[in-house]
Amino acid sequence: MRVRRLVLASALFLGISTLGAQAPTSKPAAPAPAAQAAKPAIDISPPREMDSVRFGILGDTGTGDRRQYEVGAQMTKAMQIFPFEFVIMLGDNIYGSERPQDFVKKFEKPYEGILSQKIPFYASLGNHDDPTQRYYKPFNMNGERFYTFKKDDARFFALDSNYMDQQQLKWVEEQLSRSNDRWKVAFFHHPLYSSGARHGSEVDLRTRLEPLFVKYGVDIVFAGHEHFYERIVPQKGIYYFTQGGSAKLREGNIRVNSALTAKGFDTDNVFMVAELGKDSMQYQVVSRTGRRVDSGSLPLMPEPKSADDKPRSQ
Amino acid sequence: MLKLRRWQVMRTELALLCSALCIGLPGGRSLEAAPVAQQASVNPLAREMTEFKKRVDAYLQVRKAVTQKYPEVKETGNPAKIHEREVALGKGIAMARVNAKAGDIFGPLSGHLLKVVEDDWNSRPRADQKAILSEIPKGLTLKVNQPYPPSIPLATVPPKLLAQLPMLPEELEYRLVDRRLLLRDRDANVIVDVLVGTEPKRAE
Repeated sequence: MRVRRLVLASALFLGISTLGAQAPTSKPAAPAPAAQAAKPAIDISPPREMDSVRFGILGDTGTGDRRQYEVGAQMTKAMQIFPFEFVIMLGDNIYGSERPQDFVKKFEKPYEGILSQKIPFYASLGNHDDPTQRYYKPFNMNGERFYTFKKDDARFFALDSNYMDQQQLKWVEEQLSRSNDRWKVAFFHHPLYSSGARHGSEVDLRTRLEPLFVKYGVDIVFAGHEHFYERIVPQKGIYYFTQGGSAKLREGNIRVNSALTAKGFDTDNVFMVAELGKDSMQYQVVSRTGRRVDSGSLPLMPEPKSADDKPRSQ
Repeated sequence: MLKLRRWQVMRTELALLCSALCIGLPGGRSLEAAPVAQQASVNPLAREMTEFKKRVDAYLQVRKAVTQKYPEVKETGNPAKIHEREVALGKGIAMARVNAKAGDIFGPLSGHLLKVVEDDWNSRPRADQKAILSEIPKGLTLKVNQPYPPSIPLATVPPKLLAQLPMLPEELEYRLVDRRLLLRDRDANVIVDVLVGTEPKRAE
């Protein structure tokens, strides 16, 4: 035992992080870049379950400014403790001009530490994104504005909430009806529920999407657009997260005493990691400074969703 | 006796009904005029919609010819390739439609589309209007064949409004600038048409 501890301490001293080994996982943990190991610890816990689906969540990222880089650095650190397998992006991936160098400055560089570990990103389009981003290979959109992919027993649906036309709605219904996966996760840019003072809930979009989500048993919805973090009180049996604060920040924008808010954080930028297990989802939200601002466990809801569970507020 | 009385009452009622129907027909026309009346009730927009679709198809033909020179980009890690193709396709389409002007594709359907946009706007609560206006780019003068300004956001088109507009092929999309409807080529980033007409009223 002593020898084992000694070896562990030596490894840490040499700058080889073994934090990833704490995770009860049969999946390979990403090795730490040597430069990261010496940095202060980040307040994040390893995954709880073996062979769970683990992923990171970033929203409204593409500014190319200091805050984006700082969140990216924290997320790279988090990967050593919570070895996520992929990252979903909730839109506004590239703000402003979209010249080739912007993709480097606003995506490739800030997430260099993650990309270098061959962790794939899956993007959705925001209102600041040119739809031609769907051809950019590192976004893994397969040339489509909306698409689906599967990870173990979880299916993800990336939607284009900027342009929810009939073709897309038809596709959403077809794909959802075909899915027998344990977890169904939708992600897109505009939040169906939000306590944001600037934008608020996208009621029009909700009218179109929510009936399909309820009917076909979507479990979790991630959205961005609002530049803060908010966990919504479950609506009609669905968990909603707004996570549009990974680079931009709209400080103090969450309406106080909103009946929708289960937890809100609008004083710093954040990233999120989540784990889909056999019967529950674990989530952790970490700030730009490495502080955990929200975490918890949510049970997998039984299907079908309760149509009587009315939303509490607009 | 009772049966006979009932029959007489029914005959009288039937006669009254026939008379009422005859009086009710315009100009006292016979029932032969009915098909004309039915024809008038057919969706008056149907022809304009069909013509609009033909103009969209014609645009796609032009576009198809241009894309022979600039084939679709497969997924690539080199954003320069995507950017170059977008610019080249946009220029190629603009060259091929050098004489295109606002209203060429929307055509006679413009009046209907203006009304759809306006009605949709008026149907929305004030908070909703405010949220939409906060996102829509304002004060831009956009012309056919120009690129959509690359650094200006592509404001969300409200799904309820989209559901009321004629469906478009994947190559094209509607966009709103200052509550004006545009037709934009999705991959070429070029403005294909602009809805001309009365400037929609701005909310306070």
